[in-house]
Amino acid sequence: MAETTGFLERHHFLLRRLHSLSGVAPIGVFLLFHLTTNASIVWGRLGGGGAPGAVKTFQHEVNFIHSLPALLLIEIFGLWLPILFHSVLGIIYAVSGRPNVGHYPYPGNRRYTLQRLSGYVGVLFIFYHVATLRWHWTFLIPGGTEWTAEYAASTMGAVLRGGAAGMTIAGLLVSAFYLLGVSLLVFHLANGLWTAAITWGLTISAQAQRRWGQVCFVIGGLLMLGAWSAVIGFATINHTVARGAEEGVHAPEPTPVLTPGMAEAGTLRDEH
Amino acid sequence: MTASANGSHKPAHTKPAAKPGRKVRFKVKRCDGPGKISRWETFEVPIEPGSNVISCLQWIAAHPVTTEGVRTTPVVWDANCLEEVCGACTMVINGKVRQSCSALIDAYAPNPGDEITLEPMTKFPVIRDLWVDRSRAFKNLTRVRAWVPIDGTYNLGAGPRERPNDQAVRYVLSTCMTCGCCMEACPQFNIEPDEAAWDTSFAGAHAISQARLFNMHGTGAQLKGERLDALMGPGGITDCGNAQNCVKVCPKEIPLTESIAAVGRSATIHALAKWFTGP
Repeated sequence: MAETTGFLERHHFLLRRLHSLSGVAPIGVFLLFHLTTNASIVWGRLGGGGAPGAVKTFQHEVNFIHSLPALLLIEIFGLWLPILFHSVLGIIYAVSGRPNVGHYPYPGNRRYTLQRLSGYVGVLFIFYHVATLRWHWTFLIPGGTEWTAEYAASTMGAVLRGGAAGMTIAGLLVSAFYLLGVSLLVFHLANGLWTAAITWGLTISAQAQRRWGQVCFVIGGLLMLGAWSAVIGFATINHTVARGAEEGVHAPEPTPVLTPGMAEAGTLRDEH
Repeated sequence: MTASANGSHKPAHTKPAAKPGRKVRFKVKRCDGPGKISRWETFEVPIEPGSNVISCLQWIAAHPVTTEGVRTTPVVWDANCLEEVCGACTMVINGKVRQSCSALIDAYAPNPGDEITLEPMTKFPVIRDLWVDRSRAFKNLTRVRAWVPIDGTYNLGAGPRERPNDQAVRYVLSTCMTCGCCMEACPQFNIEPDEAAWDTSFAGAHAISQARLFNMHGTGAQLKGERLDALMGPGGITDCGNAQNCVKVCPKEIPLTESIAAVGRSATIHALAKWFTGP
């Protein structure tokens, strides 16, 4: 314990600034892409294919991510270790404060307290999220659905509902935990962007801090919209329709697709 | 009635006027000495126009009898200037920290039977009743070398000329009286009974702001590196949690959060400069 304290004190400034930096990149940048990808279960419908089209769009994105080389190394060094670092240091820093919103109920003080609360809940949520979906701890999922990258949208829907069929009571709890978790994490990122600008000395005057705060509010609002559409989109997805669309992505043979051989053999000749 | 007969109107009051000749109850948190258990005592004080918390405490000192009729010891408090420039009489009034000399009863308790609670600051050790020991706040000023280095064996002559723009920024920073308000309201600044830990616990917004004040001074800037090194260690600039209560409670309206951000920028530049050019 004494050695740990000594290490933290010797590298105090560097660790604090790395804590701030890691929240913006890679973690914040990842959350931006993660939520944009997941929200495609809703905005993917704009492509004209309706709900099956959105499932296909999402499945293509998942397939792209899983085609990345050395994905496990990217996950470990780009995500899991930075999140672990940010969480452990964040908790050490957070428990050193004594929130006092009762006596001083100013907006800034409420954000200070919520930043710490959202950190605690966010760590729990991220652990549950990664353990159940990525590490396949299915015993923590009501209904025991295993999320698979091949059937990304349909299994996600079953995870959130507590089964492939309609919403269950336990599924409602999981979905509510997801909504709460992502909302708190989006707040944590948006408010963290605001305070990081003060920490690093980018915004100095009260006016500059207010201006950057408005930008962070818009960023947070857009991310919140994406986060909610992702959770609600997956929780309300039709399992059979989603499954069918995913089969279509994996096995294109049954659908008429133009290949050079087919073009020679039939399609082009029919035009004559 | 005469006013309406004349056809004139009384001036419209935005707030109901305080009732003259009323009595206000003071609930005071009392403590007989360091380490002793605190207790509450209530006093009823007749209010005169323009009374403030200090004048009421003076009345209690002259009439130390609680509302239960029990004779007690006079309430002890610290005060000096009585015009909100020394910071000595800072205490927690109705749950919020401020100077008691400028806390007017008419604003806090305009009606008969209104109650005002008085507590000592919680972030500093209590000496007795409402009197606390603010030594740590002053110790934190020495941590950041909050002075201009002019001591020596011969006359150094005139210092560099100060620019009016810098003076304008520095003037309000120089009004800090180390009263303790910013520290009392700060969730990151907490009571530390172990004096040895004062050097590594949060220095407080006032010390960071004073570091900025002297870093901006032509001669004071000679110690800029030392000040930033001190503020980059444990309990320095990084321990600010951006709750920004300090700037809300500062009686001198010092832009403490701007000072914190400005020192944050200096620290960023200082750290990079040290990494690339330092030993």
